Amino acid sequence: MTTTLEQKGSPDLRDAFPSVVWRIRDWAQRTPDRVAMRDKDFGIWQERTSAMLWDEVLTAAHGLLSLGIRPKDVTSIHSEDRPEWVIFDFATIAINAICTGLYPTNPTAETQYLLNDAGSRVHLAEDQEQLDKVLGPGRVAFPTIERIIYVEPRGVRSIEDDRLMFWDDFMELGREHKDQNPGAVERLMLEVEPDDVMTLIYTSGTTGPPKGAMLTHRNVEVAVAHVLNDPGRFAGGKGENPADEKLTYLPLCHVAERLFSSWSFAYNGPVLNFAESIETVQVNLREVQPTIFFAVPRIWERIHAGVIIRLQDATRFKRMISGFGLKLAGYIGAQRVANSGDFTFGSRVAYAIGNPLFFRSLRERIGLRHCRYASSGAAPIAPEVLEFFMGLGIPVYELYGMTENTAVATTNLDGRVKLGTVGEPYAGIGFRIDEGTGEVQTKHDAVFQGYWKKPEATAATFTEDGWLKTGDVGVWVDGTHVKIVDRIKDIIITSGGKNISPSEIENTLKTSPFIKEAMVIGDGRKFLSALIGIEYDVVGDWALRRQISYTTYRDLTEKSEVIELIQGVVTKANGKFAHVEQVGRFKLIPKELDHEDGELTATMKLKRSAMEEMFGELVESMYS
Amino acid sequence: MRGRPNLYTEYKAEMGLFPSMSKKIAIGLLALIAILGPLAALPFLGFAGDASWLILVNKALVFAIAALGINLLTGVAGQVSLGHAFFMAVGAYTAVVLGGEAGNTVWGLGLPIWIWLPAAGVAAALIGVFVAPTAVRVRGLYLAFVTLGLVFIGLYLWRNLGKIAGGPGTGRPWPELEFALWRNMDPLVSFTSDGPLWWWLTPVNWLPWVHIEEMDGEVKTFFFLVVLVAVFAIIAKNLMRTRIGRSWAAIRDRDIAAEVMGVADAKGKTQAFGISSFYAGMGGALFASVVGRIIPESWDIFLSVEFVAIILIGGAGTIVGTFLGTFFVVLSPRIVENVTGFLATQAEDGGPFSWLGSIFVRSSADDWIGIVSYPDAAGPGLSVAQLNIVLFGVLIVVFLIAEPLGLYGIWLRARNYWKGWPFTY
Repeated sequence: MTTTLEQKGSPDLRDAFPSVVWRIRDWAQRTPDRVAMRDKDFGIWQERTSAMLWDEVLTAAHGLLSLGIRPKDVTSIHSEDRPEWVIFDFATIAINAICTGLYPTNPTAETQYLLNDAGSRVHLAEDQEQLDKVLGPGRVAFPTIERIIYVEPRGVRSIEDDRLMFWDDFMELGREHKDQNPGAVERLMLEVEPDDVMTLIYTSGTTGPPKGAMLTHRNVEVAVAHVLNDPGRFAGGKGENPADEKLTYLPLCHVAERLFSSWSFAYNGPVLNFAESIETVQVNLREVQPTIFFAVPRIWERIHAGVIIRLQDATRFKRMISGFGLKLAGYIGAQRVANSGDFTFGSRVAYAIGNPLFFRSLRERIGLRHCRYASSGAAPIAPEVLEFFMGLGIPVYELYGMTENTAVATTNLDGRVKLGTVGEPYAGIGFRIDEGTGEVQTKHDAVFQGYWKKPEATAATFTEDGWLKTGDVGVWVDGTHVKIVDRIKDIIITSGGKNISPSEIENTLKTSPFIKEAMVIGDGRKFLSALIGIEYDVVGDWALRRQISYTTYRDLTEKSEVIELIQGVVTKANGKFAHVEQVGRFKLIPKELDHEDGELTATMKLKRSAMEEMFGELVESMYS
Repeated sequence: MRGRPNLYTEYKAEMGLFPSMSKKIAIGLLALIAILGPLAALPFLGFAGDASWLILVNKALVFAIAALGINLLTGVAGQVSLGHAFFMAVGAYTAVVLGGEAGNTVWGLGLPIWIWLPAAGVAAALIGVFVAPTAVRVRGLYLAFVTLGLVFIGLYLWRNLGKIAGGPGTGRPWPELEFALWRNMDPLVSFTSDGPLWWWLTPVNWLPWVHIEEMDGEVKTFFFLVVLVAVFAIIAKNLMRTRIGRSWAAIRDRDIAAEVMGVADAKGKTQAFGISSFYAGMGGALFASVVGRIIPESWDIFLSVEFVAIILIGGAGTIVGTFLGTFFVVLSPRIVENVTGFLATQAEDGGPFSWLGSIFVRSSADDWIGIVSYPDAAGPGLSVAQLNIVLFGVLIVVFLIAEPLGLYGIWLRARNYWKGWPFTY
């Protein structure tokens, strides 16, 4: 394996800028036989060593060269998380070209928009499903695409299109090119400058079409230094290292998963385990038992709801024990919340009782037995959920950032946690909250270069003195921690003139296992109302137990018992808010929200404008 | 992977013989008990060295070998067989003809154990393979009848082949369990006679409370059998977790579907009958040898039914279940007898269970309440042996209805209860 590293014609890379790809090569040289990735195939986690990985990256890079990709060209990936995703991404970076990823859920129209906006020349489509999105609209719709590489050949072989190329053939092409031009890729790696654009990450576009944020090598380096390697984030002070295990399961085209998986691997070397799909996350979690785990609030909510439901379904004796365990967890959680995330004497005693009895096995069951650091980000999370996990002994820290600043803004540090805040700004970065608008602004080396081919949009994101406008309203808590109130444009001003942050109310509602989506409405209205989407499985299960028969999702939302159930949740949530912030009326959304139908973004965030348009009548009925 | 028992990086790990650490520890403990128990070297478990118990344990071990065979055939490959007694008899008579002493009325070649024991298995296996084609033609109840027919053919043969089986009602003596190189040579090792402690067991004396110099014949027999049983159990386990076992399971679940998948039905059934009969033959030969003398009428339908009871009570298709079933079926008569005796004494002398004893035990001819007659089977009550047969019948019914996986199923349920903690699913 190591022979590829000492190929003749390969230049000395010691003085090259240590980009992520340089580091992949470095791992292969230092620890060639260490397992770098695992990928589940036919029930077995197939392993890839660092040397194998680098060999594949190098071969793919040669393949790209052979397909005519040159520095500054753009390639694209439309796939679920899998090793080929990372390999193709790294290969593109190796030849100093720019790679962008698409969400597997992106429908055809968005795919067309994204690929043309980026100007992708070589496109990697995972399987027939993703291929259809490119082949369907026809050749004219994608003027820049020259090659389409597919990884899963099933159902594709019969398609006649000279742009199509199977992954294995692509790699074969790379091997030929490598034999003929040894060192070609390495020479390009020498030319990498820190300010070269490394990747385009498209924002999810809750308003308007997605925009491609240009992130450079320097951005990534700074982001890793802060978000992954900030001292003080880990209990015990031991940072990410090759002994860590990670589960790669969120879309890699998002800045969070890229940072926590592929860049984290390049810099710190933890083993990446690729989940089979987003549906199997809970099963894969149990198998992998990651030591470091990042999840978006939706996943934490799902795990939380899953635990509560399954505990309710347990046998009587188990219910008794778990009821006691949950009480202990509640006590521990409350103690730790009050004590900046640390244990107190009382909670330590409670933990010593609860751990062998309940917590440890529960953590094993949800796959976080070995988890020493967990984080939540990318969207606001209800503090109750975090408190629950803290009580179980899983240290979950909320952090905050966005694509445009490569996720570098604030984080909760070990022993300095304030629940309900997103923590403290990283040491040494420019961070301020604008006094006039309350907007959070950042200025540091991880702030992006701008939007791809959109200078006006770029200019609009920066203040006159060069600070990045995040679009989030924040307030200081105790002078050190930051609490994000909401997106500026989402803030509701009622007809009474009161400013209300809907996301806080929505998240409190979503703490209930019965509620999947909530959208609070009230801009210019007399009182607040909410559109609520139920969690189909959980509510369906609940209905079955009460012998309420139903046929479809819509039918279920119209059952008076279900409406009563949700009313109970809403009333309980209202108790936590002041009168003006209470939800006066609500309606259940008659369909499950979907990316395809345009109600959600690719990251499963609500598109408020689309929602208001779609369910306008429903909203009006609440106010009439 | 350490700390991650569910993360399989290769198929080998997933189908490993002892896939988890806890299994390895359990097996190790079992081995330790198997060595120390019969030597009466275990604190609190001294009775395990008692010869009267050990004889039963030895019988159970022999039965376990035969039961492994029927479990492969019925539990794994799904072929119902009531002919197991017949195959055991074939093995036993092959052994006695090859290994037994010739007499005026019987044949015997006096060959050593390393010939007669394997030959017993091979002879039974050959007949098993010969019978197998019928299993391809008939299944279920009909196959049970066909194999039952074998038992009756066998009974007729053994009664009339006096040269092989000895006379009806008398039988003939079987060769002893001793290892000699050739006929008429002094045995190198005897597994039946009392003697000094084997040298490789001397470390036992390092335990502070143990001092052993002599070994009973039963203890030697036990060690001989326990090694054989372990070997056969591992072979059976390996058969089950590899290609042959998977093809058997496919045939069991649906033979037509198995054939559609490319599993050769006839081949699989033949293999199952052959291998199962091999186990039966070995078991039969050892059984006869351990008992010493067996009458031809012993190889009857009840013996077969006993094996059906073993796999149904223990757990069809599992190795652990085979052992649970065998030990239960072989040891329970003794336990029932002890319990009955205890109740009888209680009824007589008074005690906390005297009320139960007076209801349950019929102690004398005037006592007209009671199910079991004890100490002797006088009057209308059942004898202890009859009670056992009734008990097995009841247990077969109960297990078939309530717990098809037998005792092993109960264990499985208990294990899953804790495995799933704190959830139920």
